[in-house]
Amino acid sequence: MDALRTVTRDIDTNSTKISARGVQVHYGDTHAIKDVDVDIKERSVTAFIGPSGCGKSTFLRCINRMNDTIDICRVTGDIRIDGDDIYDRSIDPVQLRARVGMVFQKPNPFPKSIYDNVAYGPKIHGLARSRAEMDEIVERSLRRGAIWDEVKDRLHAPGTGLSGGQQQRLCIARAVATDPEVLLMDEPCSALDPIATAQIEELIDTLREKYTVVIVTHSMQQAARVSQKTAFFHLGNLVEYGDTDDIFTNPKDRRTESYISGRIG
Amino acid sequence: MDTKHISSAFDRDLQGAQAMLMTMAAQVETAMLRAAEALATNNLEMAETVRKNDRAIDELEEGIKIDCARILATRSPNAGDLRTVLTVMSIASNLERCGDYAKNIAKRTSVLADAHPVKDVSPALRRMQKAVVAMMGDALDAYTRRDLEIAQEVRERDREVDELYNTLFRSLLTHMMEEPQSITACMHLHFIAKNIERMGDHTTSVAEQVIYLVTGELPDEDRPKGDLTSLSSPESFGDPA
Repeated sequence: MDALRTVTRDIDTNSTKISARGVQVHYGDTHAIKDVDVDIKERSVTAFIGPSGCGKSTFLRCINRMNDTIDICRVTGDIRIDGDDIYDRSIDPVQLRARVGMVFQKPNPFPKSIYDNVAYGPKIHGLARSRAEMDEIVERSLRRGAIWDEVKDRLHAPGTGLSGGQQQRLCIARAVATDPEVLLMDEPCSALDPIATAQIEELIDTLREKYTVVIVTHSMQQAARVSQKTAFFHLGNLVEYGDTDDIFTNPKDRRTESYISGRIG
Repeated sequence: MDTKHISSAFDRDLQGAQAMLMTMAAQVETAMLRAAEALATNNLEMAETVRKNDRAIDELEEGIKIDCARILATRSPNAGDLRTVLTVMSIASNLERCGDYAKNIAKRTSVLADAHPVKDVSPALRRMQKAVVAMMGDALDAYTRRDLEIAQEVRERDREVDELYNTLFRSLLTHMMEEPQSITACMHLHFIAKNIERMGDHTTSVAEQVIYLVTGELPDEDRPKGDLTSLSSPESFGDPA
């Protein structure tokens, strides 16, 4: 029976990539994340869903310490990647962000050429020793971003001249250029049309062969399509976390059911 | 889920499809009852009504499927809503088949009117029909009330219908061997019994859909099967001794 299923949602490995325990986030007096525990599997796509203000983006931003850049934000608890505490004093956030790449809601290419957009990360991290090596990294990254064929003849044209969907794929290429282990995506398709969205979703599915992908999305159908695991956040709590198939057909918590079926919860 | 959707049109769509299913269910129950009544009392007029009304049942099924397809396409339902839509579609198919069987029984009733009468079979058929109609009523009740317990109980009761069918099968074989001139009538009666037995299976499937609707999981295939006639030969069953 399983052999006949066309969609395999299995995760190849069972090992945990990101593990969070007792994570709390405060913005000044606001308690934004309340005691979240979660284990995110290696080489899988995990979707964070929930209503606006539920804390899903805040939690995502804890994973590469983007919240450090906000003065009034205080993160406590334990977040580990491959067992290493990423909030340890010895960890350099800049190095961490090379390991944990991020793609944002609105495509934000640098006002530079397509080539330089991708080469930027490897350059500051000293990943290429020669021009030829850099060319190779740029091509490989653009291929992983599924945009190489569309831009290979105009690598020195400005990245901002691309269409929205192409810009977003360029940003994904830029994020994978430093060869990260984890890719965080904060509503990567919300500014894109359905065709560009489908292309990004297709790309996400191939990215999970190499990376651990965590995606925040407001589109429930997108979460159902691209992810193997889904976490539902509500009022700062992680309400339910499980296999995507189960969450969307038979959620255990009434709040999850209310949210995903479009009811007033 | 008793709370309403943010989009009230979604609530109306779901209620509409379910209301249509209930209308269809009422018509199928009536068809099953009338087919039984027509057979028992040799009422050809009633049998004709059952045959005529089957078209309305088919049209309702069509309408339910179209509505459900529209809900799936426009609302992308999840969780309980998704299970409701899937269940409505599946139950509509089961009901449609039961309607067909009722129609087939009605057809054979008119043929039997002119055939050689067969003794002692009517009460057993009547019992079988009663059991299946009662099961269908309870299965639909379980659906409207989302009642897991009733659904599970209905599922168990199919065994009784299967056993009644086995008994009938045996006595019809005996009749045919003893009185070859009754073979035509007995064949029709046997198909009627088989139709009723199949109605029982579809009713069981309705109950299983209710279990899926409530729990999110279809029950395992461990239900005891009572219909053994496919394993038997005339020699093993037909010995008049």
